[in-house]
Amino acid sequence: MEKILHKERIDDWISALTGWEVLSPALEDGIWAYRPVSGAIRLDHPNTTQPPKGLAFPQREVFFSFEQIKGEAPRLTQILPDTVQRAVFGVRPCDGRGAVRMDRVFGDHVEDTYYQARRKNVAYVGLACNQPPSANCFCLSVGGSPVSTDGLDVLLTDLGDRYFVAAVTETGKALMTAANSLFDEPADADRQQLKSVHTEALAQPQRAVHNPDAVPAKLKASFKSPLWEELARACIGCGICTFLCPTCHCFDINDEVTGSAPLKGNRVRTWDNCQFPDFTMHTSGHNPRPTVGARLRQRVCHKFQYFPENFGMPQCTGCGRCISECPVGIDIVSVVNKVVEHAG
Amino acid sequence: MINVRDIRDAARDLLAKGEVRAVIGYRRGSRGMAAEPVVITAPEQADELVWDPTCFHNLALYLVEDRKFLAHSRKAPGAPIAIIAKGCDARAIVVLMQEHYFKREEVYIIGVSCEGVGVLDERKLAGHVPGTPTDAAFEGDDFVFTTPEGEKRLPAREVMADRCLECRAPFPKEHNVVFGEDKTGRELAAPFAALARFEEQGATERWDFWRRQFERCIRCFACRSVCPMCYCDECVVDSITFPVAPETTADEKANRIRWIERSAVRSENITYHMTRAMHLAGRCIDCGECERVCPVNIPLRLLNNKMEREARERFGYEPGASIGAASLVASFNDSDPGSFIR
Amino acid sequence: MSEPETYEPKIVAFLCKWCSSAGSDLAGVSRIQYPANATPITVPCSGSISPLYILSAFNKGADGVLLSGCHIGDCHYIEGNYLARRKIYLIKELLEFVGVEPDRFRMSWVSAAEGAKYAQVVKDFVADLKPLGPQDKLKADRT
Repeated sequence: MEKILHKERIDDWISALTGWEVLSPALEDGIWAYRPVSGAIRLDHPNTTQPPKGLAFPQREVFFSFEQIKGEAPRLTQILPDTVQRAVFGVRPCDGRGAVRMDRVFGDHVEDTYYQARRKNVAYVGLACNQPPSANCFCLSVGGSPVSTDGLDVLLTDLGDRYFVAAVTETGKALMTAANSLFDEPADADRQQLKSVHTEALAQPQRAVHNPDAVPAKLKASFKSPLWEELARACIGCGICTFLCPTCHCFDINDEVTGSAPLKGNRVRTWDNCQFPDFTMHTSGHNPRPTVGARLRQRVCHKFQYFPENFGMPQCTGCGRCISECPVGIDIVSVVNKVVEHAG
Repeated sequence: MINVRDIRDAARDLLAKGEVRAVIGYRRGSRGMAAEPVVITAPEQADELVWDPTCFHNLALYLVEDRKFLAHSRKAPGAPIAIIAKGCDARAIVVLMQEHYFKREEVYIIGVSCEGVGVLDERKLAGHVPGTPTDAAFEGDDFVFTTPEGEKRLPAREVMADRCLECRAPFPKEHNVVFGEDKTGRELAAPFAALARFEEQGATERWDFWRRQFERCIRCFACRSVCPMCYCDECVVDSITFPVAPETTADEKANRIRWIERSAVRSENITYHMTRAMHLAGRCIDCGECERVCPVNIPLRLLNNKMEREARERFGYEPGASIGAASLVASFNDSDPGSFIR
Repeated sequence: MSEPETYEPKIVAFLCKWCSSAGSDLAGVSRIQYPANATPITVPCSGSISPLYILSAFNKGADGVLLSGCHIGDCHYIEGNYLARRKIYLIKELLEFVGVEPDRFRMSWVSAAEGAKYAQVVKDFVADLKPLGPQDKLKADRT
């Protein structure tokens, strides 16, 4: 289903989405983040600081609560996520592709109950990137594109005074038919303009991973390379790259005790981070990844080697956040290129 | 005006003569115009060193990393390590020496004065410069940016970091060698100006403000990781390090206190940030790195500045002023305020 | 928000072993009546109190936190309470700075002989805390 939506009608479209909580980019304290729409929607954002992965995979998630009952087995009460339907407007194609990767991790071999319960209630109304939103974008190098529809339910393309609105999934169609009267049929001129806008978008310069097809094998051959420590020399071991990544998904599970008599609490999942020193620290004190170099290698290889080996696609979607936000400028594109070059 | 060649020559010389085993400095980064920290060990690498308004990082952090690496690998330091240090960074080094983290003779300080113009705050650049600049340079009281649309000159005071505007000590007093003029005494903004503005608000507004900030925190710990003063092998607030040795007993591991949960929720985040502010009282020299690196723009300098101003006004204490000085919380005065105690 | 008549503020009281804790014991053996709202935690010295204890007490739901130690000059460890005076001043300022009600946190010097004073300190604290209601700013949401 393809339609035209004049820009001044977009707020009406949002209002027509009763039954959906609509989120869109908002600028707050200098940070772009997805927030419930309030007032006129804004779609002039570069990209949000945090990807929308938190909607299906929140930083904190309660699995179940437990309570010790005297004389009985402990009582466990499953806590499932709310069933609110959320539509996120303004999602960039790289983040849509990020959702595809997360979906595979939490659905391919085993269905993660909690992830799936949230995921099925989230719809992504994407916005094509006529210009790269960041100086560090490199989606083209990882099989993506500024006009990709992977993972999205609808794709909007900005044609100046109107959007070209293309449904990608049945959910996307439903979002559009909820406000049928607001949309117009696309004319030939619209389709022509769409084509030329997309062509121009694809031609915009980006950062580039050289020879992407050769990367997994070259990384595999470079496991013992001393280059990793050198490239990670400035790394401060914070969690910015990982927490801001649309596809990083490692997690911890802990019990949060809330009462001691009777003993009760919650079993909670929280984000974990391969850049933290304790990521694979054993209780013996031994750590298979004891240095920043080993942990940088972990992240880069997971994105560009292990995930491709396991899922047949690179895990990185080229959003560039880890490059832009790294406190010391560690640059995954530069790292991959250097390691590959060095591997010969 | 500093000629970067002089800095390179000094570094090259020290390495060639074996007087130092490495030089911690800045080099051109691979993403845009920002410099990045580098540790060079060979004299030829000295040509990589740069000095420009994007040299905002506090390199004292890498002295700490170096020290930890040596301890972990049980190596003796051998020759000292050299470090390029701005006025703020030099004070951080003094604090580390005050705390006996290393001895004075183990560090060769190549002092580089910002000459009163401070360093750039990238966030302030938006709107001032067309496109993405590829280069930045010092020129007198200005910063000069190279952009795809040509050169753009801006008065430094319009885009320098807030902590530079308020800085009272823009010259590395502790040094082995120093480049650039001493512009201590130049007045740009009143010290603690941002703090004073903030405190004009009442308690309810202040709480609303901090509540919003700490709800946004994602506990990436970049603030802690970038701070040279947060060098504890195991952070008491939220340990992601757990240093254990073969001798650590099961009891010790099991009874380790978990002060806050991993959940990045307001209550846990506040406990983390306030504890960190307390642990930095009298130690923070306001390099501003914590605030710069925060991916969600939490104004952390306000918390630390509050402690710093109390230290200065109530206890007459200046962090990083002298290597022999006692620490703020391990000393006291008969004149310390006590009327709040019943 | 609980009604003032039924709301009983929970106070965590860090008491130094040598003076204040003994002082609270004296209040007990002297049968001095005072509100039972304070949970005492004995510490070796007021100077040994980490800001983390105070923040943790608030995190776990304390409505008020009290610290009490020996009078200046009488510290069993000679200097501990001087250090406490400085440190606690700082944490008190920080708590107020982020907007926590100043009345929720206080410090006192109570000697081993001052059972009556201890009782009075707790009594005053409870009275000052009641109108503030339960503490919810720093308290962890334990649901």
